[in-house]
Amino acid sequence: MSMPSIYKTLGTSVLMAGMAFGSAAAMAADGPLRGNVRVVIGSTSTGGDTYQNSSIVADALAEHLDINMKVDAVGASSAFRFLDRDPRGNTLMIFHDQSYLGYLYGVEGYEDIFEKYTIGPTVAINPGNAYLVPKDSPYQTLNDVIEAVGNGEEVRVAIQPGGVSEIGFSALKNAIAIEHPGMEDNLVAVNTGSQADKNQQLFDDQADLINGTVQANEQYTRLPEDDQKAMRFLWLTARQDTIEQAPEEGLGQTSREQLLEYVEPNVNVTMGDDNFTFDKEFFFLYNKDMDQAIVDQIDQALSEIYAEGEIQETQKNSFFIPNFKPSDEAVEYLETKMSVYEDIIANIQ
Amino acid sequence: MFDILSLLDITFFLLAALGALVGIIFGAIPGMTATMAVAVCLPLTYALGLNHGLALLLGLYVGGISGGMVPAVLLNIPGTPSSITTTFDGYPMAQKGEGERALRVSVVASVVGGLISAAILFLFAPLLAEFSIKFSYVEKFLIILLALTVIASMSRNMLVGIFSGVLGIWLSLIGTYSISDGGNGKTRLMFDFLEPYLFEGFSLLPVLIGIFGIATILLEAEEGVKSGLAGKNITFGKGGGFSFTIFKGRLTNLVRSSFIGTFVGMLPGVGGSAASVLAYTQEKNLSRDSSEMGKGAPQGLMASESANNALTGGALIPLLSLGIPGDSTTAVLIGAFTLQGIQVGPLFIPENADTWYVMMTALVFANIVMFFLMFYAIKHIAKVVLVPKYILYPIIVMMCVVGAYAINYGIMFDVWTLLIFGVLGYLIQKVGLEVAPLIIGFILGGQAEVYFVKSLESAGSYAIFFTKSPIAVVLWLLIAASVAFSVMMGLKSRARRRLETSS
Repeated sequence: MSMPSIYKTLGTSVLMAGMAFGSAAAMAADGPLRGNVRVVIGSTSTGGDTYQNSSIVADALAEHLDINMKVDAVGASSAFRFLDRDPRGNTLMIFHDQSYLGYLYGVEGYEDIFEKYTIGPTVAINPGNAYLVPKDSPYQTLNDVIEAVGNGEEVRVAIQPGGVSEIGFSALKNAIAIEHPGMEDNLVAVNTGSQADKNQQLFDDQADLINGTVQANEQYTRLPEDDQKAMRFLWLTARQDTIEQAPEEGLGQTSREQLLEYVEPNVNVTMGDDNFTFDKEFFFLYNKDMDQAIVDQIDQALSEIYAEGEIQETQKNSFFIPNFKPSDEAVEYLETKMSVYEDIIANIQ
Repeated sequence: MFDILSLLDITFFLLAALGALVGIIFGAIPGMTATMAVAVCLPLTYALGLNHGLALLLGLYVGGISGGMVPAVLLNIPGTPSSITTTFDGYPMAQKGEGERALRVSVVASVVGGLISAAILFLFAPLLAEFSIKFSYVEKFLIILLALTVIASMSRNMLVGIFSGVLGIWLSLIGTYSISDGGNGKTRLMFDFLEPYLFEGFSLLPVLIGIFGIATILLEAEEGVKSGLAGKNITFGKGGGFSFTIFKGRLTNLVRSSFIGTFVGMLPGVGGSAASVLAYTQEKNLSRDSSEMGKGAPQGLMASESANNALTGGALIPLLSLGIPGDSTTAVLIGAFTLQGIQVGPLFIPENADTWYVMMTALVFANIVMFFLMFYAIKHIAKVVLVPKYILYPIIVMMCVVGAYAINYGIMFDVWTLLIFGVLGYLIQKVGLEVAPLIIGFILGGQAEVYFVKSLESAGSYAIFFTKSPIAVVLWLLIAASVAFSVMMGLKSRARRRLETSS
C-alpha cells in the first residue's frame, strides 16, 4: 500500500470512529449542554497548573453530564477569540486571575472580562505563587527586602510583566511606598518570560528576588547552599487560610507547617489598612450570549460534583485548594478582588 | 534494580513501539508534528499510569522527530521544522532517483543520533544541566548567530542569499513585541486591520509547509499536467543502491552532529530547528569535501538527521535535571508528570530513580523500534513518488491544509498563512531569491532578537557580547571561522566561474 492510500484509509477510519463516537455521546446527554464541548484555557502550556486543574474539572464534568469534553491549551488571546465566536456553549473557557489582571495592566489582547463575558463558577485555588531568593542571599525575610529598599538599596525582582507574576511585585512596591515614601523606585522589575528565564536571572546574578511557584521551585529550595541553583522561599502570596487547607504533608519534602512560615502573619505586605494577599483562582468564562440554561446546568452539575467530595481529593493531591463558588457568587467575589488590585496598580503608577 | 524490571512488562514495550509507529506517521504527514502527537495522547497518560504513559509518549517523540524525514526527502516538504535541512540534500537525491538511498542514510543517522544522545543523557544529565545554566542571554544569542551564518555558506549567490535571510528575519518579527521580550507589548510591522490575525505573528509550521510544499506544487503545476512520475528513474530493490560503506569516513560527522543536536536540545529556549541547521553548518565548514552539499550529498543528510534525533535526549536533560523543558515537545511532555502529580526539578532523578530508568529504557527501545520500522518499510514508503503527480499533489495540499488548520487548535488564518507563503515561495523563486536562507532567517530571527535585546537590557552595553564569558569568546571564534570559510568558498567558486566563462 502506498503512503497516500495508507493515509486515506487511516483518515477515513479515524473520521468514522469519531463520528460514531461523537453522535453516540450527543444522544446520551439530555441537558442544554450536549455533544462535544471544548474547554479552551488561557495558557499554552500543558505542563502548567491551568491545564492540570482544567483537566480535573473537565473530566469530572464530562463524566457527570455524560458528554465529551476536551481541554485545549490555546493561550489567552486565542482562547478569548474562540470564546467570542461561539455563543452555543460548545466552547467554554477556564482561566485564572490573569484574565482581569492582564486588563488592569493594560496588556494588549485583554479586555474587561466582567463586561465582555459571563463569569462562571470558581473551582480551585493554586496556593503556590511565591517569591524566592538565592539560598545565600543576605535577605532572610521579606521584611529585610522592604527595609533594604527603604534604605536606598536597589533590589531587582525577576517577574513576567502584565499579570499574576507582577501583582506581588506591585504590592511589594506599594508597601514600600507606604512605609518608606519615595524609596519605592529602588525596587526594580526585571522583565522576563517563563519560569526557566526567571530562574536563570537568579543563577546569572541578574536578579535578587524572583517570582516562582511552590510547585516549580520546591526542589531548588532543597539543594545545598553551595549549589549555584539553590533557592529559599521568602514569601507566598496566598492567604494563611488558603495554605491551612493544603494537605498536611505539603509538597515534595516541604510540609504545610513550613509553608505557613511564608504567609501572613509571619510575612506582611501592607496595603495601608489591610495586608495584601493573592490567591490564584481558577474559574469559568462564558460567551455573553450563551444560554442561561447552560450556566445553570454547569453550576448545578458542579455543586453536585463538589457535594460528592471526590474532586476535592483529586485537587488536593495535585496541590490545589478546592474553592467552588457558583456563578453569581463568583462574579461578585471576583469583582471585589479586582477592585483591590486595581487600587494597588493605580497607587504605584 | 529488580523493582525496575517488574515495571517493564509487555504492555510497556508494546506502547513504546506503538508510540514510535504513530509518531512516524504524525511526523511524516506535513503539518503534523511530534509535539502534536504528544499533545493529542497526553490525556491518555491518566488512564495508562505514569510508566506506561511515558513509554507511549517517548515513543511518539522519537517517532515524530524521525518521521519528518520522509516528506522532506521525497517531496521537499519538511515534515517537522527540525527536518528542514534534510530537504537540502534529500530532495535533490530523490530527484536523481536516489530517494530510497537517501531515506536509508537518514534512518541510520537518526538512530545513531538518538542513541548517542540517550547515552549522553543517561551518563551526564546532571552535569550537563549544570553546564547549560552557564548559557545566559548572551551565549544563546551567539549560538543563534552561529546558526545564522549558515545562510552565507549555503546560498548560491551570497548577496542574494543574505538578502533573502534578512527578509526571513523581517518576516519573523511581525506580531506582538511582547513586554517579556523587552518590547512594548504592541503589534508591529503590520496594518491595523491585520491585528486580529497577526497578533502572534505568522505560525512557523504553516509558513514552512507553505513555502516548501505549496510553492513546490505551484512550480510543478506551472509545467502542466503530464502523466509523468514525481521521481523519474528510481532504483528499487537491493536497498536502492544503499550500503553501509556510505558511512565510511563519516563517523566524525555523525558523532559531531549528534553532539551538536544533544547540546542544542539541552539549551532551553533555543528551538529544535537550530540543532539541525547548526550541525549542517558545521559539516559544511569542517568537512574536506563539502562542495556537493545542497546538491544531494548523503553527508548533509547524516548531519541533519543525526542532529535532529539527538535533540530528543538533549531536550530531556534540562527537563529531568532542572524541570525545564528543552524544546516544544518536552514542554508538552512535562504535562505527563504534572498530571500524575510528580514534580520535575533538580532532585527528580535521585528521588524518582525508577521512573528515570523506565524512561531511559523507553527512549532506547523507541529508537530501536523506529530504526527497524523505518529501515524495512522504506522500500514501500519510497514508492510514494511512483504515484502520479496529479493524484499525489492534491492529496498533499489537502494534508497541508488540515495540518495548518490543526496546528494551533483550529485557527483559519493559519490556512491563509499556508496559502500566502505558498504563493510567496513561488514568487521569490521566480524573482531569483533563495528559499532556504529565507526560511532559516524566519526560524531563527525571533529568537535572535529576543536574546539580543535581553542581553543589552541586562548589561546595558554592547561590550557584554565579547566579555561575558569564555564560552562567548569561543562562540565568537566559531562565528568568525564560519564567516571566513563562507567568504573563502564564495571567492573560490567565483574564480571557478570566471575560469569557466573565459575558457
